[in-house]
Amino acid sequence: MSDPVLALVMLGLFIFVIMIGFPVAFTLMAMGVGFGYYAYFQPNQAFFDNRVFYLLTQNTFTVLNNDALVSIPLFLLMGYVIERANILDKLFYSIQLAARRVPGSLAVATLLTCALFATATGIVGAVVTLMGLLAFPQMIKAGYDVRLASGATCAGGCLGILIPPSIMLIVYAATAGISVVRLYAGALLPGFLLAGLYVVYVIALATLRPDLAPPMPRQEGKVSLVQVIVLLAKSFLPLAILILSVLGAIFFGLATPTEAASVGAFGALCLAAAYRSLTWPGLKEAVYLTARTSAMVCFLFVGSSTFASIFSYLGGEAMIKGFVLGLDLSPLTFMILSQIIIFLLGWPLEWTEIIIIFVPIFLPLLPHFNIDPLFFGILVALNLQTAFLSPPMAMACYYLKGIAPPRITLVQIFNGCYPFLALIVLAMVLVYMFPALTTWLPDLLYG
Amino acid sequence: MIRRFIYGVDLLSRTIGHMFAWCIIILTLGTCWEVFVRYALNDPTSWAFDFSYICYGGVFYMAGAYTLSRGGHVRCDVFYRLLSVRSQGAVDFALYLLFFFPGVIALVVSGWSYGYDSMRIQEVSVNSPAGVPIWPLKMLIPFGAGLLALQGFAELLRCLVCMREGEWPARLHDVEELEHQIIERHAREVAAGAGRTDK
Repeated sequence: MSDPVLALVMLGLFIFVIMIGFPVAFTLMAMGVGFGYYAYFQPNQAFFDNRVFYLLTQNTFTVLNNDALVSIPLFLLMGYVIERANILDKLFYSIQLAARRVPGSLAVATLLTCALFATATGIVGAVVTLMGLLAFPQMIKAGYDVRLASGATCAGGCLGILIPPSIMLIVYAATAGISVVRLYAGALLPGFLLAGLYVVYVIALATLRPDLAPPMPRQEGKVSLVQVIVLLAKSFLPLAILILSVLGAIFFGLATPTEAASVGAFGALCLAAAYRSLTWPGLKEAVYLTARTSAMVCFLFVGSSTFASIFSYLGGEAMIKGFVLGLDLSPLTFMILSQIIIFLLGWPLEWTEIIIIFVPIFLPLLPHFNIDPLFFGILVALNLQTAFLSPPMAMACYYLKGIAPPRITLVQIFNGCYPFLALIVLAMVLVYMFPALTTWLPDLLYG
Repeated sequence: MIRRFIYGVDLLSRTIGHMFAWCIIILTLGTCWEVFVRYALNDPTSWAFDFSYICYGGVFYMAGAYTLSRGGHVRCDVFYRLLSVRSQGAVDFALYLLFFFPGVIALVVSGWSYGYDSMRIQEVSVNSPAGVPIWPLKMLIPFGAGLLALQGFAELLRCLVCMREGEWPARLHDVEELEHQIIERHAREVAAGAGRTDK
C-alpha cells in the first residue's frame, strides 16, 4: 500500500513527539507498529496476524544478530576502561614537557593529548571533564586567555567521536551499509587534519598575541632531554602500542573490527592493570556503563528499523526522493543543503538520533548526485563535531562549565569555541575540495 | 506501596541488566581466544562468529529496561526541561500510554510466538557446522520486551506520583558516567569550600 500523505503525517508526528521530549527509540517502535498496522490492515484477519507484528520481531532480531554492531560494546568497554586508568594525567604531563618550547605549549599539549586519547576512546564527555580538571586550571594559572583555554579543552575533547575507532563511525557504517574498515581508514586523515588545524591555529595565535598564551617561565622548564624521553616512553608508548595494534589490525585486514575491538578491550584491561588502576568497582562501572550505552544506541536501531521500513512501504522515501530530485539541485548545492540541515539538527538532537534516523533520509539520494556514501559519512562526522560545540545545546561547553571555577561564564566558553567551529567548517571545505583525503588511505589499503 | 513497587521493578531491571552486562567480558575473552587460536595456532574455532553476536545481543537487549530505569534512553529535552515538574509528569504519562506500550507490547506478544517456534525446533545457527543454538537469543526478545513493559509500567506510576506530589520519585542510583561523577564531585568541593570561607 502506498500512501505518501500518510507517510508525511507519520514523519511530522514523529518529529513533533520527539521534540516534546519522549525517548526516541520507543516513539519509533510504537509509530512503526501503529502506522504499519494500518498499512498492512486486512479486514478479515485476526488482530495479531497483521504482518506488522512479524516485521517488528524480524527487524528486532536483525539488530540482535547484526555483526556490524558487535564492536560497539567492545569499543565502549575499551574507552570506559581507559578513561578510568589514570593515563591521561601522565600523558598530558609528558607531552606538555616535550612541547614546552612551542608557543601556546599548554594548549598545544591539551590538543595533542586529546587527539591521542581520541584514538583510544570513541566517546565524548569524559575527556572534556578530565582535561577540564587537568589542563584547564593550568592554562588559567599560566595566564592563558579564558576563551582560548576553554575552546582548546572543548574542541580537543570532542575529537574522540571523529578519530577512529569511534562509535559514531560504526553506527554510520551500519546505517549506510558500508564497510566499517574502509570508513575508519577514510576518517583517519580528516581526523588528524582537524586536530592539526587546531594545533596550527593555537600556535599561530600564541605567536601573534603572546599576551593570550604566555610562554612557560624558564625555571620551570629545566628538564633534561633524556628525562623527557623517558617520561614520554612511559606514558605514551603503552597507549600508542595498544592503539596501533588495534587500528593496525583493522587497517591491514588482519582482523575484523570485532576481533580488533576485543583485543583492544582486553589490552585496555591489561594496561589499566599495569598502571595499577584496575579496581573491582572501576571494572563494574565500566561494564555496566557499557551495557547502558550500548542499549541506548542499539535500541534506536531496533526502533528505526521498523519505522523506516513502514515509512518506505507507505511511499515516504520515494516521495522525498521525487521531491528533492524535482528541485534539480547541483551536487554541490545538495551537499551544502544536506550538511546545513544536519548542522541545524545538531542543535536540539544528539548524534545518535541524527545518524540513525535522519541521515538515512539522505542516503538513497546520494547515488543520484554521484556522492560516495563513505565521503558523505566523513563530512557528516566532521559536521557533528559542531553539535557538541555550538550553542545553545553544546554538551562539551556544559561539561566544562560544570567543573570550571565559578567565575568563568558559559558565554566565555561559547566564545572560545567559535574559532574552533570555524576550523571545523574549514576542515569540511578542505575535505570537500580534496576528496583524496578520504579516499587515498582506503584505496591504498584495500584497492 | 506504589513507591515500593517502583523500587522493586527498578531493582529487578537493574539486576538483570547487570547480569547480562557481564556478557561483554565473556565476549572480550572469547573473541581474544579466537584471535589467539586462529593467528597463533592456525586453528580457528567454528563457534566464534555466532558466539560474538549472541553475547552482544544479550548485553544490549537485556540492558534496555535497566537503561530505561536510569532514564538513559536518548531523548530531546530542549523543550521538555522548560516544563514544570508536574507537567513533565503529565506529558510523560500521556506519551508512555500512546508511544511506549503499543510497540513494546507488540514485541512481547509477537516475540513470544517467534521465540517459541524457534525453541520448539531447537533452532541452531546456519553460519557454521558447529550448530550454535540460536533459539535462546530469539527467546530473549519476548523476555527483554516483557521486562521493558514492566519497567514502563513502573515509569507510568512514577508519572502518577509526580503529578500528585509535584516531585519525581527518586531513582535507584548505581554507576554514573565519569563526566557526571567529576562534575558532581566538583560541585560538592565548591560547596564545601564556600562553606569554609563563610565561617
